[in-house]
Amino acid sequence: MDAATLLIAALSAFAVVASVGVLLTRDNFYAALYMAVAMVSIAAVYAVFNLQPVVVLIVLIFVGAVGIVTVAVAATYRFATPRKVDLLWVAPVVGVFGIVAYFYYHLVSGDIKITPNPDSFASISTDYFFVILFLVSLMILMMLSAIKLAWRGET
Amino acid sequence: MIPELSFHEISQLGIVLTASLAILLIAYVTAISAKDLVRLLISLELMFGAVFLSIIPLFTISVTAAYTVAVLVIFTSSSELLVLITAIILLDRRKRGIQIEKVAVGGDSL
Repeated sequence: MDAATLLIAALSAFAVVASVGVLLTRDNFYAALYMAVAMVSIAAVYAVFNLQPVVVLIVLIFVGAVGIVTVAVAATYRFATPRKVDLLWVAPVVGVFGIVAYFYYHLVSGDIKITPNPDSFASISTDYFFVILFLVSLMILMMLSAIKLAWRGET
Repeated sequence: MIPELSFHEISQLGIVLTASLAILLIAYVTAISAKDLVRLLISLELMFGAVFLSIIPLFTISVTAAYTVAVLVIFTSSSELLVLITAIILLDRRKRGIQIEKVAVGGDSL
């Protein structure tokens, strides 16, 4: 196992541990912080593969914008509800994970080889113009619906 | 007879996919056991994190297409989560609480 694979394994394990923290903590504020740690770890996996534009998007938009708003909301509604994880749900989840992870371990092989191309990210807007156009339209529609909801909530 | 166990090195692809699956399943359990909407929101963000991890193998096929998928996923999920945050605040205004039990009906009557 080379250094890159070890680093990916460590970062992935860190993300999984932070996710377990989200599940086990009783405080919403700490759950949001654990979630932010998990997302930064996932961005770090992208950084190992030298996919810097995605790292920037995840860290700035997903963690920096949405994550911080989530942390703020979680700090406002900071409940310490009794932890109740239903074992009836945990058992099948562990079973599914065991089966799929077994097949990943035995059948999935090969390293992830990404051929770096510095112009790839820049060419999105030209190669996938209509996809980006539809994405912007979708986001405007979603934001308008949120504003409409907020106005209706105030009246 | 005890079968002989053979170990081989797990690949980068296996690590990424296994971690993605683990985070997704943990997010599912968190969503199922959530008592309030903020925890549900956090579990949704974790699910999107699992999706981000599972996109990585796509970069081996076409880097530009994978970047496009990543941009789409990041921006649509962020928009969706911001709308959900708006809905949580509105629910608190109307029902004076964000517990799961207060969400009795969905749609426009919320």
